[in-house]
Amino acid sequence: MQATAIAEDVFELTGERIRVAELAEHCKAPADGAVVTFDGIARDNSRGRQTLYLEYEAYGPMALGKMREIGAQLHAKFAIDRVAMVHRLGRLEIGESSVFIAVSAAHRAAAFEACRYAIDTLKGTVPIWKKEYFADGAVWAEGEMPAVKPSYSASESKS
Amino acid sequence: MKVQVLFFGQLREILGRGEERVEVAEGARVEDVFAHYGAAHPRLGGFRASTVASVNREFAAWDAPLRANDEVAFLPPVSGG
Repeated sequence: MQATAIAEDVFELTGERIRVAELAEHCKAPADGAVVTFDGIARDNSRGRQTLYLEYEAYGPMALGKMREIGAQLHAKFAIDRVAMVHRLGRLEIGESSVFIAVSAAHRAAAFEACRYAIDTLKGTVPIWKKEYFADGAVWAEGEMPAVKPSYSASESKS
Repeated sequence: MKVQVLFFGQLREILGRGEERVEVAEGARVEDVFAHYGAAHPRLGGFRASTVASVNREFAAWDAPLRANDEVAFLPPVSGG
């Protein structure tokens, strides 16, 4: 199910095609002057090799938690209204949406900035992994290492 | 004490499974759990520098202490989007 919480932000992982138009529409309210969307799609090539299809897997509960954290950051940093953030899992054919983010705001600048911040932060912190399938094999996509805070509880427990 | 351990992506493929409960010593830290699996799967060791750990669904340092029933996960570099 998508876009069921009418008055709230939407954060979802789904094995189904992402309903991008519905999510963008969901973010609109009468006080909004802009909706900026990012639609990440499965590309047919990677580093000169032809990609047949992609598979995504996630650490579901943690991924959703991190997506909600990004949503909270967006509201704290930018003058925005609503956020929709949905990531597809499982097998994706070329041209299908892997991730979709929509942000509404009274003015376009905040919506653009928040949407950019959201996809950049998602790519660097949300535990989701992409495997690329080629005619002659498959590889896990190179990813980003999320930052980890030092273990204060560990140093305390040494005393 | 027992903890729940999860592996994802390439790490899951190396282990041949993604999740299990495992007995660890009282006072064990995240790195001890990884070392436990590294002993049985030597290839894992080569991935430690490119692995991030989490405890109870928050990123955690290698020296983070564990409690009974914690959920420990080992995560390759993330590549969503």
